[in-house]
Amino acid sequence: MYKSFEFTQNIKKFLIALMVIGALLTVVGVFMNLDHMHRIMANVLLNGFYFTAIAMGAAFFVVVHILGESGWHTAIQRIPEALGQYIPVGGVIMLLVLLGMGDLYHWTHPDPDDTILLGKVPFLNPVFFSIRTVVYIVVWTLLVRKLRKMSLASDSSPDDIKLFTRTRNWSGIFIVIFAITSSTSAWDWIMSIDSHWFSTLFGWYIFVSSFVAAVAMVIILLFVLRRMGYMDHVNEEHMHDLGKYLFGFSVFWAYLWVSQYLLIWYSNIPEETIYFVKRQEDFGMIFWANVIINFLAPFLILMARGTKRKMNWLLVSAIIVFVGHWIDMYVAIWPGSVGHADFGLLEIGMTLLVLGVFLFSFFRHFAKAPVVPENHPYFKESFDYDNIR
Amino acid sequence: MYVSPVREPLISGEKSYSKVTKDIYAPMEGKPGKLWYAGLTAALIALMFGGYSIFVTVWDGIGTWGLNRTIGWGWGITNFVWWVGIGHAGTFISAILLLFRQKWRTSINRSAEAMTIIAVMCAGLFPLIHMGRLPLGFFIFPYPNTRDVWVNFNSPLLWDVFAISTYLTVSVLFWYMGLIPDIGTIRDKLVPGIKKKIYSALSFGWTGSARHWARHESMSLILAGLAAPLVLSVHTIVSFDFATSVIPGWHTTIFPPYFVSGAVFSGFAMVLTLMIITRKAINLESYITKAHLESMNKIIIATGSIVGIAYITELFIAWYSGVVYEQYAFVNRAFGPYWWAYWIMMTCNVITPQLFWFKKIRRSFAATFVISIFVNIGMWFERFVIIVTSLHRDFLPSSWSMYTPTWVEVGIYVGTFGLFFTLFFLFIRFFPVIAIAEVKSVLKTSAEKFIKKGK
Amino acid sequence: MEEKTYVSGYFPDDKDLIVAIKELQEKNVDIADVRTPFPVHGLDKVLKYRRSRLPRAGFVAGVIGCAIGFGFQAWVFTQAWPLNFGGKPFMSVPSFIPVTFELTVLFAAFALVFGFLISSKLGPGSDNIIYDEGVTDDRFQILLEVKNANGDALQESLQSVGALGVQLHEVKS
Repeated sequence: MYKSFEFTQNIKKFLIALMVIGALLTVVGVFMNLDHMHRIMANVLLNGFYFTAIAMGAAFFVVVHILGESGWHTAIQRIPEALGQYIPVGGVIMLLVLLGMGDLYHWTHPDPDDTILLGKVPFLNPVFFSIRTVVYIVVWTLLVRKLRKMSLASDSSPDDIKLFTRTRNWSGIFIVIFAITSSTSAWDWIMSIDSHWFSTLFGWYIFVSSFVAAVAMVIILLFVLRRMGYMDHVNEEHMHDLGKYLFGFSVFWAYLWVSQYLLIWYSNIPEETIYFVKRQEDFGMIFWANVIINFLAPFLILMARGTKRKMNWLLVSAIIVFVGHWIDMYVAIWPGSVGHADFGLLEIGMTLLVLGVFLFSFFRHFAKAPVVPENHPYFKESFDYDNIR
Repeated sequence: MYVSPVREPLISGEKSYSKVTKDIYAPMEGKPGKLWYAGLTAALIALMFGGYSIFVTVWDGIGTWGLNRTIGWGWGITNFVWWVGIGHAGTFISAILLLFRQKWRTSINRSAEAMTIIAVMCAGLFPLIHMGRLPLGFFIFPYPNTRDVWVNFNSPLLWDVFAISTYLTVSVLFWYMGLIPDIGTIRDKLVPGIKKKIYSALSFGWTGSARHWARHESMSLILAGLAAPLVLSVHTIVSFDFATSVIPGWHTTIFPPYFVSGAVFSGFAMVLTLMIITRKAINLESYITKAHLESMNKIIIATGSIVGIAYITELFIAWYSGVVYEQYAFVNRAFGPYWWAYWIMMTCNVITPQLFWFKKIRRSFAATFVISIFVNIGMWFERFVIIVTSLHRDFLPSSWSMYTPTWVEVGIYVGTFGLFFTLFFLFIRFFPVIAIAEVKSVLKTSAEKFIKKGK
Repeated sequence: MEEKTYVSGYFPDDKDLIVAIKELQEKNVDIADVRTPFPVHGLDKVLKYRRSRLPRAGFVAGVIGCAIGFGFQAWVFTQAWPLNFGGKPFMSVPSFIPVTFELTVLFAAFALVFGFLISSKLGPGSDNIIYDEGVTDDRFQILLEVKNANGDALQESLQSVGALGVQLHEVKS
């Protein structure tokens, strides 16, 4: 009834071409920047982290719907589920970051009289940092694999309520672990670039940023799959709901952005304002573009009811948001590690390369299973509901 | 609309549409019981005591409170934040849960919203009293005046004025618009007379026309879309009262979302405390069931854990920041003279709600009742800890001080309980406690057994 | 004084109501109004009602509220009486966000509620006629307007689709 997805040679060829182009540009970029190791590493971190975070955001999307006893999401559940399977691959890229730690993180070589950084040594030291990175990747991989396995198991065992209960329990475990690691990993990988700076909100801010990007990614892939003739069962109501997610969480992201900015701006403590001073002065354009792209664009496009129900409008805003949050990460990483705004072949190449790998991983996993979990106990609900007019 | 048979029914027993009307109208019929009069009397006595305490404050001056030059905010602001927090549950339930299509909302939203409105009124009293000269309270609004100056839009305290008055207004609108169809139901149940005339006016001439319903649904949805960020904004702005300062322990960027989460946490606890009593007192057991309890407790555990993570984040970042003042503030919280308040907060907010991970406990009315009271206490202490312990160790050790409330401050707090319960008792007597129309709209899909009336 | 006559009949269940409406529509009977105890799922689509314009009213009011909120604060701080607060710039945009947001929501909410009340002719002292007090309890009522003295025909067609308690109402308006 539901057409299974076939990972055809054409798609493979396209993705490999994307990766090859990306790789070539990356190689050229690397050779051009051999004496700017920090820029190369910043690229590795940005793309390594961004796509891993999207994968985790997608897994979170599934988990939170399982815990919320949702029914509507089952129609599209397999997309975020397959996205989550990228974690181990993204993890490998994050391991590369460990190799270039010294070029990215100032705390790896604090000045002998820098008491602030020396005070952080018990937490910010290469060994503990590496252990934490490995732990995040391993634990996340185990979790997304476990959840995927249980979801696939449901395909062959209809009416298995025990399996459903078990999935819910594992979702609980996932959410507890992720609640902690989403923050700590953001502190580790991103916040510690600006080694002296700190903000308690930072972990939640990065988490919401990647969750919005994950929703955008789901929408983009839904569009692509429908174009290829799959996922015909997805109707306007599902699009409406995805649109609401993109709209709502873009606003929520803006809320966190303003909260962090306003509190630091208002209190005007130099140790804290330095973070924004640097961004506003050296990254002025891109700093403000970040807010406009990620808040105003989805806010204005998706406010009306009609646009949320049309795939094309959804796609436009999803692409804007996807690019927007890449920029968000750029604004978070670049000032502390590179110091000035650089954008060239290296950035384009590496992004294309990792995007290619990311999509390849998605399609490979998506092809392995039916496109919908037909035996999910709430599956039928997904086709008999509508949004209030 | 299809509903999976796996889902637990929300409404127990055999119900038809008219049975729902009858059940929910029942507590408003006839003369109220002795218990109701006893409760109302107790609440009125507390209210009068509070009124007297406010009189003493205004007549004799703020010196009757335990505040001093170091600790300028004590019980007054603690209670203000506590009540505002409680006032978040209702609109959260009716707005955010509406957007998320949570059907279990229908049995509890009406009374939770009423609690919200009353709690916000209680909260609003405290800043007014704190300003000292009650009759001059209108100074906080920007209006053309002979002094030729405007209010200070840079001040978070002024943002509060706008946030809380907007929140109160929009909550009242939302609540009342939801209420008019149900008031219409009550109107049609009454025999002609003065009471019917009053309800007729209150029902705004509701007819149940399909056109009206279509508009009503559309309006409710957009209002919910507006109220959802509004709920967030209110406690966010309350948190700005603290976080825009440079006081260690107050100035931290996680405050806005963490305060909102804490507010929903405490609000749900208060809703649970009252609902567990109310459902028994006025026989609504079949409408507020274990399914509702479990869903509410899941939100308690989610928001409670978010609050817990925020505590630990603050603690960790205080160490990580390397700022000695921050570090001192947090060590002092846990081990300073007010250590007991900190550990009460930690136990009640972070540890006890974790019991809800056990299905048996989160489906037990008795256990939930006890834990919900723990949460109420814990969330009060959270505000006390944030306010008093952050202030009592000033930057200059010569200004270090301690704070104990006087009977006047306690009296005002007791008085707000009086106000809260007085209005709540009046509400359950004169208004339908459960959204009749909304329950009917989910009856077919969510009742244990739906009885269709034959032709 | 104009006199109108209506025929009413009710159904004990929402499903029967929808079936009956569809049957009446097939017979080309104009339905004046349908009254129900709760919003019946899909009824507005069956009756082919257009989507309400309230959201648009809310949006416009929100934009006005936003402009007034921001404009007023900016005017006070840069034109009317610029005061230095803690060294902040006069035009301190981040400070204006909270009040601007609140006013946006307040204006939009008022527009929605009053738009709803006015367009539905509801309010204190509203004299809407209630034909059957069971409508707010468990009756799903159909109202047909009698034109050209076809009252008997309408009563028959209502009865033929299974309506109960079919009767005539004369209304002065």
